[in-house]
Amino acid sequence: MPALAALFNVEWGDYTSDLLDALIKTIEFTIVGFIGAALLGLVLALMRLSKVRAVRTPAAVYTELFKNIPLLAIIFLTYFGLPSQGVRLTVFQAGALSLIIFYGAYLSEIFRAAIAGVHAGQQEAAEALGLSRGATFAQVIFPQAMRSALPGTNTMLVDLLKSTSLLVTISAAELMSQGQLIASETFRALEVYVVIAALYFALCYPLSQGLLWFERQIRAGVPLAPRRRRRLRLARQLLEKGVAA
Amino acid sequence: MTTDATKSNGGPADLVVRIDALVKSYPGRGEVLKGVSLEVPRSKIVSIIGSSGGGKTTLLRCVNLLERPDRAEMEIGGEPVFSGERLVCRDLARLRQTVGMVFQRFNLFPHLTAVENVMLAQIKSARVPESEAIERAVTLLRRVGLGHRATAYPDQMSGGEQQRVAIARALALRPTVLLFDEPTSSLDPESTGEVLKVMRELAEDGMTMLLVTHELPFAQEVSDWVVFIDKGLIVEQGPPLDVLQNPREERTKAYVMGYASHFEGGLEEAQRVMGI
Repeated sequence: MPALAALFNVEWGDYTSDLLDALIKTIEFTIVGFIGAALLGLVLALMRLSKVRAVRTPAAVYTELFKNIPLLAIIFLTYFGLPSQGVRLTVFQAGALSLIIFYGAYLSEIFRAAIAGVHAGQQEAAEALGLSRGATFAQVIFPQAMRSALPGTNTMLVDLLKSTSLLVTISAAELMSQGQLIASETFRALEVYVVIAALYFALCYPLSQGLLWFERQIRAGVPLAPRRRRRLRLARQLLEKGVAA
Repeated sequence: MTTDATKSNGGPADLVVRIDALVKSYPGRGEVLKGVSLEVPRSKIVSIIGSSGGGKTTLLRCVNLLERPDRAEMEIGGEPVFSGERLVCRDLARLRQTVGMVFQRFNLFPHLTAVENVMLAQIKSARVPESEAIERAVTLLRRVGLGHRATAYPDQMSGGEQQRVAIARALALRPTVLLFDEPTSSLDPESTGEVLKVMRELAEDGMTMLLVTHELPFAQEVSDWVVFIDKGLIVEQGPPLDVLQNPREERTKAYVMGYASHFEGGLEEAQRVMGI
């Protein structure tokens, strides 16, 4: 295998700790970006479902605006653009903010469709049982919406992880930036980027498979919350014991 | 088996539901209810019958204020809840705990198992401790014959089973009155039988019930009082035999005959089925 041997001759041992740091940085961007985007997306979705026009409109404008601007442009705006207005963000702040701004818009669309898709009869049944507005949302609407939003949301999470590579443009110390550094030191672009690509794959593939497994569990009705498991276990025990009817 | 409904509060008339001159309109549809008065005494069963679009369901939904009347005087359990054009009920959540509702399309929570469906409002509305809520849920599911289905999800159950879970869910808050909105309209005959059996048992236990139904034989069997509504007005009301067997009003006659004509043997067959 002379071709393969020729391909791999960077001293990877020298870069292990750098790559590990870069991997962690990528994961940090993914976690912070996704949590922020999910929260923003939920707020935007709820705003868009409001009866009040003055609440609905800004959310709709936001979503349309940032869905139609490339992520790279948003990254440049937050990191290179904002300082001219006196807002100076660190690389991490600018990177995470860009991901939140961009993916928040997409997630809001998924969440809005999922919440609106919960049957009106569910809201009524909850109301008729005297549930408060908060409890109705938390116990009835949100869990059902979450189930139908799950596939789209999971796709977005994996997409967001891959998009952290765009942060190479602001040298965010994530995987892609680290790859660029190693490539410029070793002049082994093909080898380095094959390894970087493999690392992204090693992150994304288990993640998306894990999320698919999670979706299947939810669809099969497996109770994941410990509280639900406990309740169902107690119910089974009662049924076995045969409490007096 | 006893229900809270059997306990009398000893009020003068002991009316669980008292509605006077209720008017309800929708934009574009005009007045759906044009001044309807209705009383449901404790431990009695009142059935509302009439053709689709006549306002039956709207009236039922006004009782637990899922729909706001335009104007009405309403008392539930002796307490004024609506007066003139104003909601005077201070605690809507509590009102809904005293008025249980069973829907035509069941409206069970699909992400929760049967037992969790029956527990949810106990924990979230009535603040019943969890262990007590579970015990009550299991007891109620047994009572509607579904103990063995307690951990099934709604989509794993037949329509009849789902509706029986819905009845258990409505009973979980120990309501003073149960509202039924065409509870068997989306069920096949076998499931209809299961659900009617449960309702019959509730009736025997003295549960106060107000039901909207197309099941005239059932209405005749269990009701103490039958109200025929057409075009937003009460056309005729009285004991079931009077309204269903000897209607005075032409419109009632037409409706009852129309129902009877669904049976191959006509009215006689219908009467036979009704057990007359």
